[in-house]
Amino acid sequence: MADAKDKKKNPAASASSAGPGTTDTGEGAHDEGHGHGSELTDVIELGSRGDGLSKSALGVGIVGLVLSVVLGGGVFGLTFQRAYLAAFMWGLSISLGALAWVTIQHLMAARASIVMRRLGEVIAQGVIIMALLALPLLIPVLMHDPVLYSWLDHEVVEKFHLHSKEPWLSSASFAVRMAIYFGFFIVFARFLLKTSIKQQAPGQGLALAAKLQARSAPGMIAFAILLTFCSIDFLMTLDPIWFSTIFGVYYFSTAILTFCSVLMLGIIWLQSRGVLSSAITAEHRHDVGKFMFGFIIFWTYIGFSQFMLIWYANIPEETHWFHDRLEGSWKPATLVLAALHFAIPFFGLMSREVKRNKGAMVFWSLWVLAVCWFDMYWLVAPNFLKDGVSIGVVDITTLLGVGGVLLWFVLWRAKDVSLLASGAPRLDQSLAFENI
Amino acid sequence: MSDTPKAATPEAPAPLYGVLAEYDDPTTLARAARKVRDAGYTRWDTYTPFPIHGMDKAMGIRMTKLPWIVLVAALIGMTVGTVFQYWTNAVNYRWLVSGKPFWSWPANVPIIFEMTILFSAFAALGGMLVLNNLPLPAHPLDLKERFRRVTDDKFFLFILVRDPKFDDRETRELLAATSPTVLDDVHEDRSSSDQVPKGLVYALLIAGAASLVPFALFAKARESKMSHGRIHVVWDMDFTPSYKPQSDNPLFDDQRGMRLPPAGSVPVGHLRVDDHMYQGKIGQAFASTLPQGIVADESTMKLGKAQFGIYCAPCHGQSGEGNGPINQRAETLKQGWVPPSNLHQQYLRDQAAGEIFRTITHGIRNMPGYASQIDPEERWAIVLYVRALQKSRTAQVSDLTDAERAQLK
Amino acid sequence: MVTPSTTNPYQGPLKGDNPFAQITDNVSRIMEAPKPPLAWYIALGFALMLLGIFGASLGYVVWEGIGAWGHIHPVAWGFPIVNFVFWVGIGHAGTLISAVLFLFRQNWRTAINRFAEAMTIFAVVCAAVFPGVHIGRPWLPYWMFPIPNQMGMWPQFRSPLEWDVFAVGTYATVSILFWYMGMIPDFATFRDRSVSTVRRFVYGLLAMGWRGSSRQWHRYERAYLLLAALATPLVLSVHSVVSFDFATSQLPGWHTTIFPPYFVAGAIFGGFAMVVVLAVPARQFFGLKKIITMKHLELMAKVILATGMIVGYAYAMEMFIAWYSGAMYEQFAFLNRAFGNFAWAYWTMIFCNVLSPQVFWFKKMRTNVWVIFVVGIIVNVGMWFERFVIICTSLTRDFLPANWGAFIPSPIDYATLAGSFGLFFTLFLLFCRYLPMVAMAEVKAFIPEGHIHDH
Repeated sequence: MADAKDKKKNPAASASSAGPGTTDTGEGAHDEGHGHGSELTDVIELGSRGDGLSKSALGVGIVGLVLSVVLGGGVFGLTFQRAYLAAFMWGLSISLGALAWVTIQHLMAARASIVMRRLGEVIAQGVIIMALLALPLLIPVLMHDPVLYSWLDHEVVEKFHLHSKEPWLSSASFAVRMAIYFGFFIVFARFLLKTSIKQQAPGQGLALAAKLQARSAPGMIAFAILLTFCSIDFLMTLDPIWFSTIFGVYYFSTAILTFCSVLMLGIIWLQSRGVLSSAITAEHRHDVGKFMFGFIIFWTYIGFSQFMLIWYANIPEETHWFHDRLEGSWKPATLVLAALHFAIPFFGLMSREVKRNKGAMVFWSLWVLAVCWFDMYWLVAPNFLKDGVSIGVVDITTLLGVGGVLLWFVLWRAKDVSLLASGAPRLDQSLAFENI
Repeated sequence: MSDTPKAATPEAPAPLYGVLAEYDDPTTLARAARKVRDAGYTRWDTYTPFPIHGMDKAMGIRMTKLPWIVLVAALIGMTVGTVFQYWTNAVNYRWLVSGKPFWSWPANVPIIFEMTILFSAFAALGGMLVLNNLPLPAHPLDLKERFRRVTDDKFFLFILVRDPKFDDRETRELLAATSPTVLDDVHEDRSSSDQVPKGLVYALLIAGAASLVPFALFAKARESKMSHGRIHVVWDMDFTPSYKPQSDNPLFDDQRGMRLPPAGSVPVGHLRVDDHMYQGKIGQAFASTLPQGIVADESTMKLGKAQFGIYCAPCHGQSGEGNGPINQRAETLKQGWVPPSNLHQQYLRDQAAGEIFRTITHGIRNMPGYASQIDPEERWAIVLYVRALQKSRTAQVSDLTDAERAQLK
Repeated sequence: MVTPSTTNPYQGPLKGDNPFAQITDNVSRIMEAPKPPLAWYIALGFALMLLGIFGASLGYVVWEGIGAWGHIHPVAWGFPIVNFVFWVGIGHAGTLISAVLFLFRQNWRTAINRFAEAMTIFAVVCAAVFPGVHIGRPWLPYWMFPIPNQMGMWPQFRSPLEWDVFAVGTYATVSILFWYMGMIPDFATFRDRSVSTVRRFVYGLLAMGWRGSSRQWHRYERAYLLLAALATPLVLSVHSVVSFDFATSQLPGWHTTIFPPYFVAGAIFGGFAMVVVLAVPARQFFGLKKIITMKHLELMAKVILATGMIVGYAYAMEMFIAWYSGAMYEQFAFLNRAFGNFAWAYWTMIFCNVLSPQVFWFKKMRTNVWVIFVVGIIVNVGMWFERFVIICTSLTRDFLPANWGAFIPSPIDYATLAGSFGLFFTLFLLFCRYLPMVAMAEVKAFIPEGHIHDH
C-alpha cells in the first residue's frame, strides 16, 4: 500500500515511466472527487472468511462427481461422459476467460481494472484443477473407447472416410495436444500470478509491469492458438465430419462471459464478507457489467455468423450439424438458447443502473453462467441425443461436481494471497476510476 | 479581432438579460458552479470550451432522457426493417431464392440490424440537437466580445435575470465571491431580429417545392400511358445481337456462329464408360450375354417386341424374314435394292448378341444406325427379341419344361 | 491564383499563454493561414492528376461497358470488387478509433480520431464508386433501393449484395453524422476566430449556434457515447456483411465461417495502416507534432501488430480447417492459393500482412517514423492483395477444371485503382486545409489542465 501512496503523490512520474501503454495527451488522472486512493483501509486478504464456502463447495463437488459416476453408468458410461464434457468445458471456460482477461489487461496497460486484476489472476489458477478434471475425458480416449469421440471407432472412420484426418484424430496425438494445452495454461497462469505478487515487493512495480506486458504479447498469441485447438479437440471433433473456422472464437466469447460473471459474483461475495469493500467501487462493477453486455453481443455476432453462413450455403457436410440442433425438440431448445443467451440479457443488461446494482448483477451473473452452461450442453448433447432434449440428473450433478471442485480450488488458492494487486503501478488511477 | 460585428446599440439601453462571470480554469469554475447550485439557482449555465469531467455533478445536471429516445428509435428501426422486408419479400412480391422459404429470417437479419442502427443514430444526433435547442442562430451572449473565447480557452458562468432567485445585488455578490476574472452584465439583444430572413424562407420554399417535382412526375408516370416506347440508352444491351445456326460470327477465328463443345467434354448423363452396355463388347470381343441392368424377362421381351415392330419390322418383317412392307415395295419398283437380311440365316444366329447390338447401333450396308432413335436399353431389348425370333424356328421339344410339354399333349 | 508560400506557415511558435489557447492555435492556424505550404499544392496537384485519370477511366468504362475492365469468365468480380473491399476496409479505422477506442477509454485517440473519421468517409466514397459502376448500368443505381416502381418489384433483401447496400449506406450515413457531430464545437471555434464574414457565416452555419453550454455538453457527451456505442456494432457489421458477399456462397476459399471477424480484423489492420500513412506527413507538414506525438504513432504501430496477428490467425485457421475438413475442394483451394497460379500474390500478402508488421516487436522500430510509414504502406499493399487473392484465386480455380480460366487485369483496371487514390487524396487534402483536423475540444478535455483539481 505504501507503494500506491507514493505513486499518488507523483502520478506523472508513474504514468510516463509505466511502459508504452500510457499516454501523455490521454493522461486520465481522474483524481478529482474520490480521495480514497491515498487512504485505502480495505481488508485485502481472504483469510478464513471463505472457509465455510470452501468446505461446502468441496462437499458439493465430491458428492456431485460421485453421484454423476454412479448415475451416469460409470466413468465410461455415455450419459456420464456427455454430461461431464459439457460441465467440464463450462468450468474450463471460466479459468481460460480469466487467463485471457488478465493477459489483455496487461497488454493494454489497462488502468481501470487493476483493482480487480488479482481476482482474475486467482480465478485463472483454476486451470490447474481443470487439468486434473480432464482425466475422466482423457482416459477413454487413451483406451480407444469411442464412447464420446466416434473417430476412435474404426467403423466410423471407414464409413465417413476420415482417413485423411487420422493424424489429428488419434488418441496419441489427442493426448499430446492435451499435455501441451494444459501445460501452457498452467505455466502461464502461474507466471501471471507469481509475477504480480512479486510486484508487491518495494521498487518492483514498474519493472515487473513492463515484464508482464512484454510477456503477455507472445502469451496472448500462444493462448489464442491453444484455446482454439483445445475447443476444437474437445467439442468440434465430437462430430468428426463437421468443421467451422470460427469455432475457437465462439468458445472464446463464452470464456470471457463466464469469467466476467464469476468475477462479478466474486466481487459481490467478497464485499459482503468485508473484503475489498471500498477498493472496488460501483464504477468497476459497472465496467465488468459492460464487458458482460458487450460479450453477450459478441457471442451473438459469432454464433449468428456461424449459423447464418452455414444455413445459407447449405452444404451437407456442414449443415447436418445445425440440422441435428433444429430437429424435433432441439429446435425449441435452440430458440430458447438464443432468447436466454441474447435477447433477454441484452435488454436486461442494457441499463446503466442495472450494471451498478449489486442485486441485479448477482441475478444476471447467475443467469449468464447458467445459459453458458446450456450453450455447452447444446454443443455437446445433440451429437448423442438424436431424439430430442433431455436434461437429466447427471447433467446437474456433473455441473455441481465440476463447479464445486473448481470453486473450492480457487478459494483455496485465494486464501494466502493478497486479493489486491497492490504493487501495480497506476493502482491509484484504478481506485479513482469513473465511467464516462 | 478587429471588427466587432454587433456593437451594442447605444440609443436605449436594453433590459438586463443576465450576469456573466469569466474564469481562467475549470477548477475555479467548478467551485463557483457548486456555490450557485447550492444557492438554489435554476436558470443558469456554465460555458466551457470543452466538456469538463465532473461539471454535471458540480452543476447538479440531471441525466438526460436521450438514451430513452434512442432506444425507442432503435425499436422503431427494428420494427420497420422487419415488417418492410416481410411485407415486400414474403407478401407483396414473393420471390423464391435458392430454395429457401419466402420468409427466411436469417437472411433478413443484416438489414434489420442496419435499420436499427440507422434510426438510432439519427435519433442520437437529432435528439441531442432538439433537446439542446439547436440550431440557435442568435443569443444575447454573442454581443460580448470576450465571450468569443468560450470556444477557445475561457470559462464562463451565466445567471439569467429570469431566475426566480435572481437578485440584482445578491447574485452579483455571490459571483464576485467566486473570484472571477471579469464580472459583466449582459443585455438583451435588440439588434438582431428574431425573424428568419425572408430570402432564406423563400429559398427553402422554392427548394421544398422543387424537391416534390420528381415525385409528381413519378405519380404522373404511374397513372398515364406512354405514347412512345421506352427510351433506350444502351442499344447493345437492350438489343443483344444473336446468331442463328449456320450464320457466320466475326467474334471467332473460324467465323462460325455454331460452336462445338470443347474437345473431350461430356454432357451430363452421357458418360458411357460401360463398353458392354454401350458398345456390346467385353474387352475386344463382342459380348454374348446381356449387359448388367438388362434382365431377360417378360417386360423386356414386350419392350423388344414393340420396338422391333416400330423400327425393324418395316424392312425385316414381323417375323424377321427380311420381307417387310418396304422390302416388298422396293422389290416391285426394281430400282436396285440390297434386300434386308433374313434374321434366321445361320450366320446371324451364330452372331454374338453384342454384334447384333452393334448392327442396330451403327447400321450395316444400307441399313442406317439407330443410336439416335433408340435408347441403348431398348436396343438390348430388341436384341433379346431377335434372339427369341431366331429361337422360334429351331426350338426343340427338349427346350420346354415338363409342364409345358404336358400342356402340348 | 494564389502563389504558394515557400516557407511553411505552420511551423513556428504557437500563440496563446495557456495550453488551451495553444491547442486552438495549433489546429486553427491551418485553416487561417492565407497560403498553405508548397508541399500541399504539390500533393493536391498530384492528387488532382490521379483524380483526372479516375474520371477519364471510369468515363471510358461507363461508355464502353464494364468489359473495359479485365473481367472475363470466370472472374466476373475482378479489380472493382477487390478495390471496393479494400476501400471499405480502409474506411473502418476511423470509426474504430472514434468509437471503439472511445468505449475502451483509450484517450490517446483524441489526437487522431478526427482525421481518421474523415479518412473513413473519403474511403467509403471511393469504395461506393466501384460497385456503383460495376453494376453495369451506373445510371440505374436506384434499383438497389426499395423505391416503389411501376413494375411492382422490390429488391431482393435476402441477397448479401443488397445487405451491402444497406450496410455501406448506413455506415456512410452514421460516419458522417458522427464526424459532423464531433466537429460542431470545433466549427464554433473556427467561427469565433474568423475575421472574414464569409468564413464566419459558413462556419457559423455549420456550428449551428454552439456556445459551449455545460447543459448542452452534457447531452452532447451522452449523444456522443450513444453514437459510439451504436457505431461499434455497426463497424463490425459492415465488414461482416462485406464478408458475407463471399462467405454465403459455396465457392471453396470463400465459404468459411471465420470470414466475418477475420474481415473486420483485416479492415482495422489496413485502416490503421492508412491512418499511419496519412498521419506521418500530416503532422510533418501541418505542424501537428505536439498533438500527434511519437507516442501516438507507437500505439498505432502496436495496434497494427496486434491486428496483423489476428489476421495471421485467420490465415492459419483457414489453412488448418481446409486440411482438417477432408473436403477435396477446400484443400485444393488453399493449396492453390499457396502454390497455384496466383502463388506470388499469396506470398506477397503473407509477407506484407504477417511478416512485415513483426518489426514492431522492437521499440526502436515502433518509434522510427520512417519504419512506421513504410510498414504502413506495405500493409496497405498487403491488404489489397489479400482481397485480390481471395477473389481471384477462388474464381479462377473452382470446382470444375472445365470452368477454370485466367485473369489478366486490363490497363483500365490499373487506371481506376490508381485513380481512386486520387479521389481519396484530393478529398483528404481539402479536408486538411478547411476543416478542423484535430478534435480541439476533446484534446483539451484530456490534458491535466482540463480537469477539476479539487473535491
